[in-house]
Amino acid sequence: MAGTEKQRSTIRIYLDILLATEDEGNAKPTRILQRANLPHDRMMKHVSELQKRGLLDEVNNGESRYYTITDKGKTFVRELQRAEAFLSAFGVAL
Amino acid sequence: MVNAYFLLNSVLNLLGGLVALAVSYYAYRYGRVTGSGFLKTLSLGFMMLGVGLLAQASAFIFFDLDAGKIADRGIFVYSATLVYLALQAVAYLMIAVSYSRRVQGGLKIAAAAAAVGALQIASTPSSLLLFGTHVLEFGELILVVLVALIVFQGLLIYGENRNRLALTVMGAFALILLAHIAKLSASLLSSGLLYLAGDLVQLTGFGLLLLFVLRSGPDGGN
Repeated sequence: MAGTEKQRSTIRIYLDILLATEDEGNAKPTRILQRANLPHDRMMKHVSELQKRGLLDEVNNGESRYYTITDKGKTFVRELQRAEAFLSAFGVAL
Repeated sequence: MVNAYFLLNSVLNLLGGLVALAVSYYAYRYGRVTGSGFLKTLSLGFMMLGVGLLAQASAFIFFDLDAGKIADRGIFVYSATLVYLALQAVAYLMIAVSYSRRVQGGLKIAAAAAAVGALQIASTPSSLLLFGTHVLEFGELILVVLVALIVFQGLLIYGENRNRLALTVMGAFALILLAHIAKLSASLLSSGLLYLAGDLVQLTGFGLLLLFVLRSGPDGGN
């Protein structure tokens, strides 16, 4: 236990990816990777899931690929932040 | 005067019940978004607490009970009180157990407190429980133990994270604990005013829970 970081939940990773994308506007995969602190394959798996749920959009302009957060994604982020605040009162992490 | 007393008592329980249901709703809503089992258990606990308080309030309002009618309908009032106390005890036990997941050993303490309560019930003669004069005191004593456990866990959590919302929740349960101690004392001393004071303190505790919901909720500005 001591000295090791607790494993992040999937929902926490979703929030980190969505927040990174929201802050960046048009976020390149490398930026999401840095901000969410994930290996590339895991990040792509989660990004794909978020796209399926309609929370992220992929923008491909030939040379570059970006991700943007959708309105549904923004609503989801706000709800998760409220849930996080609610949970924190009971000493529970998201 | 007596009717006004029962009406005020019922209105206070009604308001407390509505706040408990609001907390239950938000716990359920966030539980759905996050898939958190903790929030689902917490939601169920607060729902039972809200239903218990509303049941008590409506029993007095809809059946238009006053002191005279209570004496006439002793069995009904006893049964209603037992149901109400049992609902509250189960609700607080669920909240204590879900709360204690975050505190090492807390689950064991909650289970031990529940076991002690169950043993006491089992060892109490049924005539005393159903028709005796101590059922209110006994029920309140169980509630005091369970809420004290929740306050203790809240204190540990606040000590750990120094979170303002954790302080609000801990403060709310501390007031609810004070309210049940006042109600227990009121039953022992046969003091209607002390019981009403307990209801007022309990409503203040639920007011703090409402503040917590508003701070963490849609307009909380987080």
